[in-house]
Amino acid sequence: MRKYILYFFLLFSVMLSSQTTEETISISFREQPIFEIIENIEQETGYTFFYVKDWIGENRLSGDFVESDIREVLGFLFAKSDIQYHMGPEKKVYLIRNQVIYNELPQGFFGREIDSSDTSLENAGQTGVNPIFLNLEKVNSPVERRTVRIGKVNPNSRNRTSRLYGYITASSTGEPIPDLALVVKGGTEGAVTNSRGYYEIELPYGQNVLVTKSLGFEEVETNVIMYNSGRYDLVLDESFEQLEEVVVEGSARTNVEDATTGSNQILSEETKNIPLVLGERDVLKVATTLPGITTAGEGAAGFNVRGGNTDQNLILLDGAVLYNPSHFFGIFQALNPFAVKDATIYKGNIPARFGGRLSSVFDITTKAGNTSKFSGEASLGPVTSNVVLETPIVKDKASLLVGGRGTYSDWILRSLDDESLRNSEASFYDVIAKYTHKLNENNSISATAYYSKDNFSITSDSLFGFGNRMASFQWDHKFNEKNKGQLILSNSQYDFEIEFDGNSNQDFDIGYTINETEAKLNFVHIPNDRHTIDYGISSKLYLVDPGVRNPLNDESVVQPLEIPREKGLESAVYISDNFKLSDKFLVDAGVRFSIFSALGPSTQRIYEENLPRSEATLIEEREFDQGEFITTYGGPEFRISARYLLQPDLSVKASFNNTFQYIHTLSNTTTVSPIDTWKLSDLNIEPAQGFQYSLGFYKNLQEDMYELSLEGYYKTTENVLDFKVGAELLLNEEIETEILQGEGRAYGVEFLARKNRGRLNGWLGYTFSRSFLKFDSEFREERINDGDFFPSNFDRPHDVSLVANYKLTRRFSLSTNFVYQTGRPITFPVGSFTFNNSEFVVFSDRNEFRIPDYYRLDIGLNIEGNHKKKKFAHSFWTISIYNVLGRNNPYSVFFLTEDGEVRALQSSIFAIPIPSITYNFKF
Amino acid sequence: MGVHLKFHSIASRVFKHMAVLLLLVSCVESFEPETEIFESVLIVEATITNENKRQQVLLSRTFRLEEDGPNPESSAQVVVRDDQQNEFVFEEVEAGRYLSVQSFGALPNREYSLSVVTSDGRTYGSDSASLTAESQIVDLYASREENANGQDGIAILLDNQTNDENALFYRFEYEETYKIIAPRWVSVDAVVVRDRPSPPIIVLEPKTEEQRVCYNTELSNDIILGDTENSNQNVLTRFPVRFISSDNFIISHRYSILVKQFVQSREAFAFYETLNEFSSQTESLFSQIQPGFLNGNVFSTQNESEKVLGFFQVSTVTSQRLFFDYEDFFLGEPLPPYATDCSLEFTPDLLPGSPGGASPLVQAINSLGQKYVSSSGDENRPFILVNRPCGDCTALGSNVIPDFWVE
Repeated sequence: MRKYILYFFLLFSVMLSSQTTEETISISFREQPIFEIIENIEQETGYTFFYVKDWIGENRLSGDFVESDIREVLGFLFAKSDIQYHMGPEKKVYLIRNQVIYNELPQGFFGREIDSSDTSLENAGQTGVNPIFLNLEKVNSPVERRTVRIGKVNPNSRNRTSRLYGYITASSTGEPIPDLALVVKGGTEGAVTNSRGYYEIELPYGQNVLVTKSLGFEEVETNVIMYNSGRYDLVLDESFEQLEEVVVEGSARTNVEDATTGSNQILSEETKNIPLVLGERDVLKVATTLPGITTAGEGAAGFNVRGGNTDQNLILLDGAVLYNPSHFFGIFQALNPFAVKDATIYKGNIPARFGGRLSSVFDITTKAGNTSKFSGEASLGPVTSNVVLETPIVKDKASLLVGGRGTYSDWILRSLDDESLRNSEASFYDVIAKYTHKLNENNSISATAYYSKDNFSITSDSLFGFGNRMASFQWDHKFNEKNKGQLILSNSQYDFEIEFDGNSNQDFDIGYTINETEAKLNFVHIPNDRHTIDYGISSKLYLVDPGVRNPLNDESVVQPLEIPREKGLESAVYISDNFKLSDKFLVDAGVRFSIFSALGPSTQRIYEENLPRSEATLIEEREFDQGEFITTYGGPEFRISARYLLQPDLSVKASFNNTFQYIHTLSNTTTVSPIDTWKLSDLNIEPAQGFQYSLGFYKNLQEDMYELSLEGYYKTTENVLDFKVGAELLLNEEIETEILQGEGRAYGVEFLARKNRGRLNGWLGYTFSRSFLKFDSEFREERINDGDFFPSNFDRPHDVSLVANYKLTRRFSLSTNFVYQTGRPITFPVGSFTFNNSEFVVFSDRNEFRIPDYYRLDIGLNIEGNHKKKKFAHSFWTISIYNVLGRNNPYSVFFLTEDGEVRALQSSIFAIPIPSITYNFKF
Repeated sequence: MGVHLKFHSIASRVFKHMAVLLLLVSCVESFEPETEIFESVLIVEATITNENKRQQVLLSRTFRLEEDGPNPESSAQVVVRDDQQNEFVFEEVEAGRYLSVQSFGALPNREYSLSVVTSDGRTYGSDSASLTAESQIVDLYASREENANGQDGIAILLDNQTNDENALFYRFEYEETYKIIAPRWVSVDAVVVRDRPSPPIIVLEPKTEEQRVCYNTELSNDIILGDTENSNQNVLTRFPVRFISSDNFIISHRYSILVKQFVQSREAFAFYETLNEFSSQTESLFSQIQPGFLNGNVFSTQNESEKVLGFFQVSTVTSQRLFFDYEDFFLGEPLPPYATDCSLEFTPDLLPGSPGGASPLVQAINSLGQKYVSSSGDENRPFILVNRPCGDCTALGSNVIPDFWVE
């Protein structure tokens, strides 16, 4: 590895020194195709070429050059072709084909009619036409630029702007390209395609240069000459050439222009260059490198977003809730990286269409299958393998994607010497399938099914398993240009089971299940170019089986126990308006009204008011019949944010939102455990509520090459759950006697700088944040830390993360990942005592101490297979070392009493550098 | 019947083993914690029983993690009161151990509470507690079994019985006494008559005290809890109080165990259970049980925020004793290895290695306490010696036969 690092620095210095002097090159070739010659030059000299291979053709050339000027060589290479070369800065060479000028689009594509009869004519449209065309030959762009004329000149038009719209599809698959950004060079206008690849943009009369920006697709610039409104469809090629260069490319400008505070998008493809433990590509892990999103520790499941608990995140996979998105206690994500297209994370202002959790929404969407040809992607890693296959069902209309993922840890265990481990079992897998069908112009449907399972049997007497199951169906319908609708039906389930089969008469198995079914209707109404109105309704039925315990066999004397099923109905209506008050001022104001009812049949225990809940204060057990409303909670949730453009590339945004959460995890561990259960609000447990205020500044530099953002927030929560010390939560029939409800307070400042393009790209994030909780009561047993605010388990004031990727050559890139975090708070023993003839420790106030700071450096080398045209598969190697510094980051600290003596132990998970190699290929 | 099923512990045991899986990359290591902020906390252990005796209250304080305990709390005034205005005053009989001046037994349907004034004038009180329901030990017996780890040994099992449906939670303590027979005992001792000048004079004399057969008594030091809450019968059957592995020398000859059964309140049970949980964190790389300060039912009456850790309870207690011999279960099988290795024999030189030095033989007898077994016939190294416990059982116990002992 060190060799490569050296190489990296070496290259840097060469580049620095060669900025002023032109290098000479020596090269010879015999009957070689031009693109190979170019590759040779790249490898020999450090020049980088930007071109589309098809343009170069299959011509073979021979030649000898000794210490020649590069221009001489290039002149020779392209003398007989229509290629022009352009020398850019930093040894970049752009190869450009002579321009092609497209004709006008056919009449049938024209947009809406302009009904104005005003005769005052503006000439702006006409002036910008022909002369500008001629200037096109002044080439300074790396890409081909087409020219299109939109609309027919309408002398009666008084519009200064007109509307351009259309669909953008991928040439290889015919699939629409969503989230593709279209921006106007030198202007402020921009648009992003929706999930169907559709875009709309208002352009000024005359000439505009429209640029497409998206990861994995070529960047296309088009001269669009607007005479009138009209349609322009684009078909884009995937750009392998630029894949490793563009690691991070947010939808350009949305950072600045969007009204939403605190949102990030991660494309699954982006994550492939980021080194992760055991070579596992993981969208959710990458999310934790963004400001405001942390985990409790190495390999810990669950996220803490802006000081919120791990149960406060709504994780959606194609619209359906995923309760536990991890395998193996959080070390691996439970999502197939090849099936995932992207994840959008809302940690600030949560759009009104989402609700039910206090802190964030992780909206994960899967890829639609390839509708034009059979294709696939697979990876082989040291612990797991992934595969995704895509096939068209109806050419260009319907496709099926299936993915699978599994581990060979069972095999690894069996090959170990240790007998107890050899008989152990630890396996996990997940499978996913997605069907998409574009029925016609106005209707498309998709269905996703997902299943994940973890199984462990470590000792001979216990077996443990947990799993997710989820299915969703989505129908998108376009009523007309102004109205669109979407129906989503989903069902999700999470369950776990523990089987204990020892030698005594105590054998049992216990199980837990949560199931939810939801129907959602979302509508978008765009009355004019100033308003976009989102509205909708949703309803969700929860069925929770909090626990069953059964004797495992006839000898077992364990008494069967079933905690009665909980039922709840959560419904919401929402409306929000994205209202453009002026060119500079954009407001997104929404309100969601949510309501939750706990439903019978149920037995609810009523306790004396204003006294701690216990057996002693129990007044009665009240019975509720099937379907009877036990209690109802609800209220308005405001989601308001605003953006003001100070300059075209500088904006300020502010937001306020409040949220309700009717479902809580019961966990008395310091980090997430798979046997944490979810509990619905009921007569005794009130819903939690959150309020968040945020303010941020956003700035893009150098045509969106750099994005800077600085965002601050203040957040309060009410009725968050905690538990009495030592509470037993599983299979507890009177769980409310163990529960404490308190308040939380969190604040922070997040800074993020991203470099989106260039050989060196990546991001640097820094967060300062605090998170506190408070549990106060009149009664000693219901207080934590005397009823004062104390730092939560995930209060980590300083958090720095750096993700950087450096492209060495077209095929090799180096990436690195550095994380520093303040150690998380822990409760530490402050003394020992003797009791019952044995020694014990007495603990400090909750979270009075911290474990040492956490830091880690990872390095990865990515090697792209070569780009030979007729190659069957495109391959990609990732070699990475996790925790290069071998830092022993303590994960937890605990104390054992053994033989009457106290022993202090600390554990760490990845305490040594973990190398791994993963092979990916794609066809 | 049944042990309280600690589902979480079982689950976390699973996780603990997960840690083993990750052993290649993960590690658990012990470290020396330093208490940066030490808090001196009063510890109260007070179980008043229905036996008519001098009741006991133990007071101590926390001590630094790196230090050795215990740290008794002396010179306190301890009083137990009932709701009939009776006061039972306690006196300190040894540091931190307070016994009631008069014998008394707790009576049913009375509320008792504890009050403590420490020597620095701070006052403490407890929640009131009343005598728990009664339950009898029906049978206490030993059985040769394998434990969960597949280890062969003797399980001490208990069956109980109650007519009171409120008797749900149990805590057990035991006192075990075992006979020790020194395996290399001989009737004579090597006694140093003269150390210097060289050569030393050592003679063989008959032993003046019993050194062959001894008895040792040990108190339980783990928290043994059982409950019938999750069981369909209101009794414990075959409840494992103690497991003695077959290679433990304490069962070599005759063994006796006195098991005390305390019926506990739900609150007391929860307190002990949590204490147990914190101390035996079967942990768990992945999920650590949230620790915290354990509140009992004893508190400061002056300063609400002062930490006090303790429990005052009033329990019914019953006890039963059991005896068994090794042959009862292991007839014909070799004895478990003795407490020390008695096959090691030493033949130290009589004369010192250098003029004026100490005699190795004298040192072995006087400083190391090694015991004579036989003579070697070699005049330079005249005696064969073994480690002290092999020839003198008082190294491991007392040579006084306990009152309750029945052969």
